[in-house]
Amino acid sequence: MAHEPRLRGFLRTLLPTWEDVDDVLQETSLIAWRKFSQFEPNTHFMAWIGTIARFEALRHSRTKARDRLVFTDDLLDLLADESLTETDLREREHQALRHCLDKLPSDQARWLELAYQPGIKFHEAAQLAGKSVTAFYKTLQRLRAILQTCMTKELQHSTP
Amino acid sequence: MNAPDFNLNEAIDQHLDGTLSPEDFTRLQETLLTDPTARALLRQRSQMDATLRDWTLARQSTPLTAWQPSPKPPTPSSWFSRPIQLTLATAAAITLAFFLWPKEYNSPEATSSGVAMLSQTLDAEFAHSPLRSGDTITPRTIKLTKGLTQIEFFSGATALLEGAAELEIISSWEARCLSGRIRVHVPPAAKGFLLHAPGMKLEDLGTEFALNVKDNTSAVHVFEGEVIAHTDRTSSSLKQGMTLGNTTTDFLPITELHDLIAQRQQRRLDAWQDWSNQARTDARLIAYYTFKHWTDDRWDRLVNNFTEPRNPKHSGGAVGARWTEGRWPGKEALEFKRPGDRVRMSLEGTYSALTLSCWVKVDSVDKKYNSLLLTDGYDNGEPHWQIYQDGSLMFSIIYRPDGITRGGDWNQIYLSKPVFGPDSLGRWHHIAVSYDNQSGQVIQYFDGAEVSREVSKRHHAGRPISYGPCELGNWGLPTQGHPFPIRNLNGAIDEFAIYAAVLSGAEIQSIFENGNPK
Repeated sequence: MAHEPRLRGFLRTLLPTWEDVDDVLQETSLIAWRKFSQFEPNTHFMAWIGTIARFEALRHSRTKARDRLVFTDDLLDLLADESLTETDLREREHQALRHCLDKLPSDQARWLELAYQPGIKFHEAAQLAGKSVTAFYKTLQRLRAILQTCMTKELQHSTP
Repeated sequence: MNAPDFNLNEAIDQHLDGTLSPEDFTRLQETLLTDPTARALLRQRSQMDATLRDWTLARQSTPLTAWQPSPKPPTPSSWFSRPIQLTLATAAAITLAFFLWPKEYNSPEATSSGVAMLSQTLDAEFAHSPLRSGDTITPRTIKLTKGLTQIEFFSGATALLEGAAELEIISSWEARCLSGRIRVHVPPAAKGFLLHAPGMKLEDLGTEFALNVKDNTSAVHVFEGEVIAHTDRTSSSLKQGMTLGNTTTDFLPITELHDLIAQRQQRRLDAWQDWSNQARTDARLIAYYTFKHWTDDRWDRLVNNFTEPRNPKHSGGAVGARWTEGRWPGKEALEFKRPGDRVRMSLEGTYSALTLSCWVKVDSVDKKYNSLLLTDGYDNGEPHWQIYQDGSLMFSIIYRPDGITRGGDWNQIYLSKPVFGPDSLGRWHHIAVSYDNQSGQVIQYFDGAEVSREVSKRHHAGRPISYGPCELGNWGLPTQGHPFPIRNLNGAIDEFAIYAAVLSGAEIQSIFENGNPK
């Protein structure tokens, strides 16, 4: 579904790890499926499913809060409110970034691929890259900066 | 202790990477609550993270180009032995490389064109550039003017060379002896190793042999296994006990290097022991750990304080850390590897000055802060000594104004230039720091030489120094239910002295020279 990348980005803002995001996304999809009859056509689908995802993220965070680094309820509310007003911007950023990634030289793409493999811990990715955690972090920061610059440029071109 | 500075961009990225420390997470959360632009940045970076993950998932479902390993066997005959070398481990490594190796070789990964390493030396002198044991060797000619050296080729072949000798290292599979005495051991994995000599070419089929080259003529003797000797006219198989060339020459015995090295190490250890017996009577010492332990210590965890007169109250207790070999065989050290490894101590008293002196082998600087000596918590007058992520020595001490118990930036941090890098990792080094609460001057030393000297702008004269509960190689007892930052040292410590006074530069230099493993 076309909304999935945006929903993932939305949940990523609220939750500390990708495992949490995957758990909540799965729960959200189940609930959305069950409640789909309540969705009114011609309204904003992302806003609707975002509300469900937000509720699930909050519930999930509360059960995890005792042992992990999770944001407080106040902060989660703020972030969720603000997120839902800018889903279109996120969508355009997503498209721009995909475009930038296609232009990336293959060696740089490999570093990113290593770091963003599902389930991998940062230090494991560094080890596979044959680098110290610090060196690998620096490499990634450089790449992210390149992508950020490229994305900003792309957005300027595409914005009327 | 807080980071010297808090960078929002980095904190957000580290949060998403799962590498942010609990303290920085607290700061991040505080910033996000009050700053809408910080929240916007978090949302943008989270979307980037999500897009990158989607993109990675999509890419990994398409096959990648295979990566080909390319060590060329030196001669056609060794082609036959090649498939045997493709052990399970190699196969696994290639499979992994297939998925993970960068498509092109011009990636930002650190590379080396080394083909061998110098594993041992004894009184060795080299004609061109000096080499130390542990150095990686790129293809070149090594001219040993005197002494002995052992070279380990990356193929697995090992050569012992006696000066004067000249050896051209061609690849990890091939070398040429131009002069001198050499003894070679080739394990099954390096079968096919090729050694050129004047008038012949020796192809090793998994064996041990010696070669002498003098006045451009060669003599070879096989101690074990088989060597094919190719000359201009013929190829002959040499088996165990057979000699080709001048039969009266003495071939290099293998025991020599190892015996001589062991003798030299024993002498160095004895000299250090004599010095140490004297040094431990220094009245300025608060604690002196040499990591000697007795096998009849039933718990095996006692880290004795060896100051004379004895003060067992300042002895430490090892947690996790394991006993390992120190600077010399027969000298013990403690190795810190796992996040829980540490030595716990409790040092009472308040002081007006300090010197910390330590022999350490750092295997990797892999955390933001890598602990040497830290007090539990970080209260007024408590020193912290660590290695910062860039390899520099980092001494810090905190004094908060009266009435303030937490928060605020009152930290006095002193950083040296980076001293731990590829050249110094994995070797024993001496480091020291001194601090005096009158002048406020902090001086740090690496291998006896001064590497920083500084007075903090926040210094006020006369504030006392104290330790209390503290530890080597890690930081702090975690409070129940709270995660703790991981700061364990990755390496080993084999001597640690804590003085209640500033030692002079000359004294530090002397500690270094008397304890230098070489």
